[in-house]
Amino acid sequence: MWSYIVRRLAFGALAVIGVSVVVFVVLRVLPGDPLVAIFGSEGFTKLSEAERARYMADLGLSDPLPVQYVHWVHDIIRGNLGHSFFRAESVAEMIARRGPLTAEIALISVVLSWIVGIPVAVISALRPNSWGDNVSRFLSILFLAVPGFWLGMLIVLGLLFVFGYRAPLASVSLFVDPSTNLQIVVGPAIVLGLGQGAYIARMARSSLLEVIREDYIRTARAKGLSRRLVVALHALPNALLPVVTLSGVLLGFVLAGSIPVERAFGTPGLGYAMAIAVSERDVFVMQNLVLLYAIVFVVLNILVDLISAWLDPRIRYG
Amino acid sequence: MSTATRDTALVQPQDIPDAAAPLLRRTARGLRRFACRSPMSAFWACIAAAIIAMAIAAPGVAPYDPLKSDFRAMTKPPSERHYFGSDQIGRDTLSRVIHGSRASLTVAIGAVGLGTTLGALWGLACGYFGGRFDIISQRIIEFLQSFPDLILAMAIAMALSAGMGTVIVAIAITRIPFGGRVIRAVVLSVKEMAYVEAARGLGASHLRIMAQHILPQCVAPYLILATTHLGVAIIIEASLGFLGVGIPPPTPTWGNMLADSLNAGLVPPWWLVLFPGAAITLTVLAFNLLGDGIRDILDPRLRGAV
Repeated sequence: MWSYIVRRLAFGALAVIGVSVVVFVVLRVLPGDPLVAIFGSEGFTKLSEAERARYMADLGLSDPLPVQYVHWVHDIIRGNLGHSFFRAESVAEMIARRGPLTAEIALISVVLSWIVGIPVAVISALRPNSWGDNVSRFLSILFLAVPGFWLGMLIVLGLLFVFGYRAPLASVSLFVDPSTNLQIVVGPAIVLGLGQGAYIARMARSSLLEVIREDYIRTARAKGLSRRLVVALHALPNALLPVVTLSGVLLGFVLAGSIPVERAFGTPGLGYAMAIAVSERDVFVMQNLVLLYAIVFVVLNILVDLISAWLDPRIRYG
Repeated sequence: MSTATRDTALVQPQDIPDAAAPLLRRTARGLRRFACRSPMSAFWACIAAAIIAMAIAAPGVAPYDPLKSDFRAMTKPPSERHYFGSDQIGRDTLSRVIHGSRASLTVAIGAVGLGTTLGALWGLACGYFGGRFDIISQRIIEFLQSFPDLILAMAIAMALSAGMGTVIVAIAITRIPFGGRVIRAVVLSVKEMAYVEAARGLGASHLRIMAQHILPQCVAPYLILATTHLGVAIIIEASLGFLGVGIPPPTPTWGNMLADSLNAGLVPPWWLVLFPGAAITLTVLAFNLLGDGIRDILDPRLRGAV
């Protein structure tokens, strides 16, 4: 187990370095001229040659690219995540203030996706091609097709029309005012949870169908265990392994999905901040937020791999 | 059955050239078999075909010019004049939804045609050659997969100048790793087959083995993957439009329309929200179910795998 953990962590560290290079290439090297991104193409043409050179030097953009990369990594390690061009708040403050909300949304939605997805999968897999199976399969494929942010907009509109209710817009910590905090979080969490639940249900269904055909299930039935107990004790625990892995991947997609969904709900989380940074083409904020999201994603996947190795000895020794 | 054959035989001589006839009849028979085996996917295939036809014939189908403002009808709910209502500068929502299908489908087909195909070819090469080339390629693919696809697409779309080409490239890059992984796995198992070894024993070149013996086995998984990816690409395109880094306005796209609706007042009018989103859902649903149907027919073993 230890050697597996060490190997996995070493690869994780390598992945973080690779990811930072990809972020640097995409957001720093690809844009023809960062000043165009900052000032817009009209603003850019109004700058004189000297002004352009001065801004470039100020931003450290006139150094060679490898030097810029090293500077950037150095800044991040020292905890200096830079400033937005358009706002006074530093990126580090923004993450500290808005991050917890998005993390809450992601966690609640994962829990929700299991609560919704697993029972649906069990109903489906116990009677394949029955009426219930067809309905639940159609529902899960429907929720894969519904864009989360649109569902979010519909929910906001519906609540407003029917109950005249609007979720609070100001960010509040869970520990200061739990009810306000939950009102903010619950909408995006439900939307993202249902979307993920659809993936979970599909994956759990096919995995259950495979496990149910195994010999040890027949043995368990033959020794007289009831159908229900066989599913609960023998089939489900084995069928859920791939679902655990999938959940890790999905958690990353929830972080990404929360960007448009938080925009739709007007949730004051990190996803909304990212939506604003994107629409303002705020390259430097984006660069650090994208890196943060990617690192979180890599770390989550390491955690998930370790959990599945702990659950399944075959992975550890394989 | 016999009447159907006689009908085609009767129609044939007048309007179809002889050489095309057997192919046409074969396609028709194949389609009929597809419809009998899974009527649901045949139904959704028709919906998908209708959406594609609508996109091609958009200027003829749409009742108004999607860019023209009617200043007598600003932010008006659905009525007899404007079936889906009109937006804050008086553009007809129905016409914009119809024209929006063009952007969505062009981007989706472009991104899948570019990204999934490139990934598939890469996966083919990785699986076939193996060795150091494969190891390095797998690491690159893993780095690409370290980003949730929307975030990667967003970053790329933001970095490059706005436009349809950018959106296509941004989404295509997120599709490469999936194509690579799936096809590589297929190739790894096909490569070990006896007939591949036989071809190698006969002295066939690498290129010939790949093109003649391995590629045909990859067509089914590729088609399944590509149909599913069309749906994913449409959703990413809409999300990019919604976030303001998609195809720049005034081009009507479903994502842009939803983004615009947020600027239409304190509360977005319901018809500006409902119809573009419903169009996205219906289109993605049609492609996903079509993909499921293709999967069930081409390869029952893959059910629920991709």
